[in-house]
Amino acid sequence: MTRFGKVGAGVFAVLVVLAVPYLGFSEFVLHNLVLIMLYVGLASAWNIPAYGGQLSLGHAAFFGLGAYASTLLFLHKDLSPWFGMLAAIGVALVAALLMSVPLLRLRGPFFTLATLAMVEVIHRLAIYLRSLTRGSEGLTIPFKTGWAYLSFTSRAPYYYLALGLATITVLASWLIRRSRLGYHLRAAAVDEEAVTALGVKLVRLQVAALLVSAALTSLFGVFFAQYVYVIDPDTVFSSTQFSIQPALAGIIGGMGTVAGPVIGAVLLTPLGELLRSSLSGSQQGLSFLIYGLVLIAVVRLLPGGIVSGARNVSGRLVRRRQSGQPASGPARSVGVGIGKEDA
Amino acid sequence: MKERPTSMDRRGFLRLAGLGATGLAVIDLAACTQDGSGDGGGGPLRIGALYPISGSLALLGEESWRGVEIALELRNQKGGVAGRKLEAVRADIPDVNAASSEARRLVTQENLGLLVGAYSSSLSLAASEVAARSGKTYFELGAIADDITNRGYQSVWRTNPPAKTFTEAQLEFVRDWVAPALKKEPAALKIAIAHEDSAYGSSVARTLEEQAKPMGFGTIVKVPYSAKANDLSAIVLNLKSIAADVVIAVSYAQDAVLLGRQAKENGLRIPVFIGTGGGHSLASFAEGLGPAADGVFNVDFTQFEVQRSFAPGLEDFLAEYRKRYSSEPRSGHSLANFMGANVVFDILEQTKGSTDPKEIARVAKALDVPEGKTATGWGVRFDDKNQNTRAKPFVTQWSGGKLKTVWPKEAAVMEPVLKAPFQA
Amino acid sequence: MELFLQTAIAGLLLGGVYALISIGLSLIFGVVRIINFAHGELVMLGMFATYWLWRGFGLDPYLSILIVAPLMFGVGVLIQRTVLQPILSSSAIMKIFATVGLSLVLQNLALYLWGGNYRSVRVAYSTATIKIGGAAVSVPRLVAFAVALVLVAMLFVVLKRTMLGSALRAVAEDRDTAALLGLGVSSLYLVTFGIGAALAGIAGALLMPFTSATPTIGVGYTLIAFVVVVLGGMGNTLGALLGGLLIGVVETLAGTYIDPQLPHVVVFGLFIVVLLIRPRGLFGLGRGTEEVGLR
Repeated sequence: MTRFGKVGAGVFAVLVVLAVPYLGFSEFVLHNLVLIMLYVGLASAWNIPAYGGQLSLGHAAFFGLGAYASTLLFLHKDLSPWFGMLAAIGVALVAALLMSVPLLRLRGPFFTLATLAMVEVIHRLAIYLRSLTRGSEGLTIPFKTGWAYLSFTSRAPYYYLALGLATITVLASWLIRRSRLGYHLRAAAVDEEAVTALGVKLVRLQVAALLVSAALTSLFGVFFAQYVYVIDPDTVFSSTQFSIQPALAGIIGGMGTVAGPVIGAVLLTPLGELLRSSLSGSQQGLSFLIYGLVLIAVVRLLPGGIVSGARNVSGRLVRRRQSGQPASGPARSVGVGIGKEDA
Repeated sequence: MKERPTSMDRRGFLRLAGLGATGLAVIDLAACTQDGSGDGGGGPLRIGALYPISGSLALLGEESWRGVEIALELRNQKGGVAGRKLEAVRADIPDVNAASSEARRLVTQENLGLLVGAYSSSLSLAASEVAARSGKTYFELGAIADDITNRGYQSVWRTNPPAKTFTEAQLEFVRDWVAPALKKEPAALKIAIAHEDSAYGSSVARTLEEQAKPMGFGTIVKVPYSAKANDLSAIVLNLKSIAADVVIAVSYAQDAVLLGRQAKENGLRIPVFIGTGGGHSLASFAEGLGPAADGVFNVDFTQFEVQRSFAPGLEDFLAEYRKRYSSEPRSGHSLANFMGANVVFDILEQTKGSTDPKEIARVAKALDVPEGKTATGWGVRFDDKNQNTRAKPFVTQWSGGKLKTVWPKEAAVMEPVLKAPFQA
Repeated sequence: MELFLQTAIAGLLLGGVYALISIGLSLIFGVVRIINFAHGELVMLGMFATYWLWRGFGLDPYLSILIVAPLMFGVGVLIQRTVLQPILSSSAIMKIFATVGLSLVLQNLALYLWGGNYRSVRVAYSTATIKIGGAAVSVPRLVAFAVALVLVAMLFVVLKRTMLGSALRAVAEDRDTAALLGLGVSSLYLVTFGIGAALAGIAGALLMPFTSATPTIGVGYTLIAFVVVVLGGMGNTLGALLGGLLIGVVETLAGTYIDPQLPHVVVFGLFIVVLLIRPRGLFGLGRGTEEVGLR
């Protein structure tokens, strides 16, 4: 395809995506698309610390904190969720900063474990601090509609909002990846000592990545509250739904790339919804059982996720088309990746 | 991992995203080719039923659904409603996200005008919000959180008693029977509330505290715990040091048994122990504790050892249940949902099958059924918050492995007995 | 004072079981170098196996250990062979996610097969207590504690005194040299995972007389096991034992004296504090930090 063709295809894709609510789909389809956007965003935000090899399974903490921050302000101070978003970011940043003190002393699986413990603690505290959060009984969003209150009766405005948030997140992910921050993070994922030996203040970079990731995740928490109308600790701090599922999407799609989490979310989210609504009730746990199997398969067969698989295929196609030229192979630039051989 | 020049990423992303969205739209279109036929016209009369059939709430979610299913089956045998056969479109809602999603689907995709549900309070809140905000009618048949009918939605109704009636019943029972039996004034009684800390337990505990003072009770101590804990000895030892006359418990299945067992292990002696439905109503409570369970009082939806003259239709329900499922009902939830579903069908009969919210409201508000005239012994009279005020829980007591109704007198099959549980 | 004694003893007994669970995890990490996120699910499977043996054949939970232990050993070997062996050369991160995937699979398989309800066994001695120094001590918990200690001691002996134990320690120390010396590293991995799984399964059987089983109960045990292992010092059996006892006591005391809703918060809080102050573990028994993944 010519360069002009490529740009044209890109523009066309963007226009299609923007026009979706007017293409006559039912509200239910739009709802699914909103969910996809939600997970695209969550997976992309999760991916940012993952560039540096830090796999968090505790992002539900930021999600839930965002939802509560915004909702509490809406309920008690009548503040629009737009301000709620700012508050959510603030709360998430503070939480991430506090967490990073112990967390960043840990590497690899221990970092992951500690994030699991963190979200468990915050979940418990949300239940315990009943005077603030109404504990497990949860909070209901006031019924006020309109853009000022981020609450709508039809799905279309939610679609654009989700699309907007997802786009911002993916953009942030892309910008970070191609920046020095991203470069150093990805290098550290492979060989930390080398990077610190170069004088890079790695811890600061990792904190920065976590902060950005936390802030973005909290925005989706606000969105969720405005979308589902009720929040409670078990739902918004759910490890399964808001820690593991985005991580799964990121890994299966291809961790460490920008497109990976997007693809993972686009594929996994409807699969989950479909499994649940079509197997209505007779099979418990089936969707996550499948996720688990897919995850193991991906680790075994395709550690770079679908993106690397697709690149393999397209790379081979490209080389075939450019017949006569020697296969240029993978190392066109400094081969930095997430994988690391064990000693 | 292989690396390509980064400029590929953006184009790659856009292309993939566009492809993804378009592809998905195609898939979705294919998967949902036609919208549901709704409930209009001459075909079957379709209503939505949202219950957790999978996940951690599955046992009682499914039990609740069975009540609806039986009501539907029996009504169809008698010719259906307004000359049309009833059909339930069931949706599984294992969590709040699903409740919201499925409610949306039933309302927009299947075009249903009336939904019933949902057993769990948080699921009910989520589903009914969707229904109400879309202008559709939602009938709650079994969840008890007071909030459900406190939000001011005119199209959300509830046929079963809310949490505050449970605590009212408990406090009335304590004031009118326990206090005299223990030969103490209500104000002199020491009451402790051992409750699990989720929505269920917390809301009941909070309501108890609020209602107790005006009724003339003295100190009430709250002892919250996590239902998922595998060791409640801290709670038991705490209760021991409080030395309460009455312990009111709000527990799920596992913690109810655990609490009883550890009370016995630690020699905790409680003169009067009153459960609040939940785990204390289940057969597994008696199974797990054997004779040690006898003496435990329990306030809940109507159980099956109740005066038949006060609960017409109960026998038919039991016969159909046994026939369909080859077992005894696992809890009173099926009966409660059965009664509620029948109320909904009665309303639909009078609106001639229309699910227009205003029509439903007109008919519902006019209903006036005295207590003792339905399968649960409840009456029907909706107040201005659309809550059925003639639905009250009864007090039962475990005796010989069975839950026997002991209070109020019209419903009782046995006199209440003063017996400290967890001693045998 | 009675309250304190009772609570402390209850905590110690619980800690014995925690130690048993954690030691399997520590062993697997030490030898196979894999952090097993699915370890709690192995406990869960042991619990369910015990339940079904009781329900189907009336087999006493303690007797069923004779079946559950080899059964879980086999499960462990199977997992190592099919899931973990092929990815041993992947990055550490990929290995984490493989075991996370395994955890998901096991949890949801259990959910699919057996539903989400809590299952408990009821035996004559479920609520039996004996008096120790004025405190009422639950018999099943005491038995669990005793058996756990015996097993830990046995493991200790195996590791220090037998050929197998030496081989395992050699692999743990330096995999490549061990392989060069002719030790069948893959087979040793299989054995290690099998032992770890068996220990977890036995812990599950020991827990059944006083705990109810449900498919999602494993996650809590995994987290606790990790806290114990980090606190006690990675890869060290004695450390895991001491750590387990400590966590059991802390958790139970916190539940009684601080708040019944917060025992896990306190445990994790302690975890964080230790990480900040003494990352090599409280008892100074752990390995060098680089291997352990700490700075």
